[in-house]
Amino acid sequence: MHIMEGFLDTPWWQLWFAVSIPVILYGIYKMNRLVSEKREILPLLAVAGAFIFVLSALKLPSVSGSCSHPTGTGIAAIMFGPAISAVLGTIVLLYQALFLAHGGLTTLGANVFSMGIAGPLAAYIVYKAGMKARINFYFVVFLATAIGDWVTYGVTSTQLALAYPQGGILTFEGFLAQLKVFGAIFGLTQLPLAIMEGAVSALLFKYVVNVKSDILVEMKVIEAAVVRKLRGSSA
Amino acid sequence: MTNILDDYALMSPLRHRNNWLKLAIVLFGLLAGVSSRSPIPPFFIAFCMSFATVTFGKAPLSLYVKLLLAPLSFAAVGVFIIAFFSGSGPEILSFELLGYPLDVRADGFELALLVLARSVSGMCCLYFLALTTPMIELFAVLKASRLPESFIELSMLIYRYIFVFLDMALSIRYAQTVRLGYSSFRRSIRSLGMLGSTLFVRSWEQGDKLFLAMNSRCYDGKMALFEVHRPVGAPELLLTSAYFLLTLALLYLTKNASIV
Repeated sequence: MHIMEGFLDTPWWQLWFAVSIPVILYGIYKMNRLVSEKREILPLLAVAGAFIFVLSALKLPSVSGSCSHPTGTGIAAIMFGPAISAVLGTIVLLYQALFLAHGGLTTLGANVFSMGIAGPLAAYIVYKAGMKARINFYFVVFLATAIGDWVTYGVTSTQLALAYPQGGILTFEGFLAQLKVFGAIFGLTQLPLAIMEGAVSALLFKYVVNVKSDILVEMKVIEAAVVRKLRGSSA
Repeated sequence: MTNILDDYALMSPLRHRNNWLKLAIVLFGLLAGVSSRSPIPPFFIAFCMSFATVTFGKAPLSLYVKLLLAPLSFAAVGVFIIAFFSGSGPEILSFELLGYPLDVRADGFELALLVLARSVSGMCCLYFLALTTPMIELFAVLKASRLPESFIELSMLIYRYIFVFLDMALSIRYAQTVRLGYSSFRRSIRSLGMLGSTLFVRSWEQGDKLFLAMNSRCYDGKMALFEVHRPVGAPELLLTSAYFLLTLALLYLTKNASIV
């Protein structure tokens, strides 16, 4: 859910930049520490970023006939954690704005906040909580990705409703009423889309576990015991 | 998405102009568009940028029109909501849809038109940059901009690998399509999952190889770039300042104007 270039009015796009930039800087700080510890991580982060971009450039089939794009940030959050996802998300969003004209430069702050920060953070929390509760790994991936997408879509609707409340002036009632309208209209496409992306992500992890589970263990995404259990049950 | 806009930028004659000048033009257009209070300056900016892209930048006109129409669906939905729900002035249009009353009010309509104009002008500015300036040229600008070194380094590596993986993804997808992998909804979900996982595993192996290759060539976290020095010519400077002045004048003149 990219907000288009020029869509947010003057106080709002600066505001979302102000909110996003500290998080991105924190992400860069964490990334620098990780890279100085383990130098081989930078190329891996690079291919992960490219992977997210390519994934988001592929069209996802949709029931309503219209095609839409997966965000891919849920997968990044599960693998690298929310701070580094924010940095990767920023770069990917910048490239999407420049190559595919999805989103824009003035709305980059708002888009980074919804897709690079809020969504991955939600996905990460759901993932960690689900793994702690020992629910099935694939189901947790599905839930984390879908909920991450929904949070992204909720945040985007909130951003739009804040900028364009009902009645023209920002009041709480006007904001709430407009949030319902944006939520309802975007929800038509976003709710099923999130479920689909969740399904694709769960399948993706299933194939990765079957083919090359040592990557996931090495990155501390899942424990070796969980992999053994999963492979045992799938064989 | 088979053609990335970068391919056209590499062929554009404007590629060989000063990068800072182009960046300044685009940033000026974006900021002027966003801060205007009337739809006239954004449309003026959109017209100028489109003209520059197609005439000076030699972007194919049919491609350009197609590109402009692509993101309009999001804009249309947003603008409709703003037109119908955010006004409070006198009604100018009112009807019932499925028993639910809908009305467009004057100030809501004006706001919607303004937002549409801003979006279009923003798109035109972005397309000007995308269709005339290849990313490689922008990296030199990024390097000079004091952004964190690791961030730029990461952007450059990501840029390189986007093309590798895009090729890979397209050929996998082609192979899957030929084998009826996308013939039904369930199958396409399954195929997409497989595509993603293969891409992930392959990109992982590629990352390992990349580390090895770069390390054996003494990579120390910095890639030196050569920035070509391109002086700004007098006609460019003249044209740009005329455009800036005209836009600023329009912004000033339309600051209190109302069109409804």
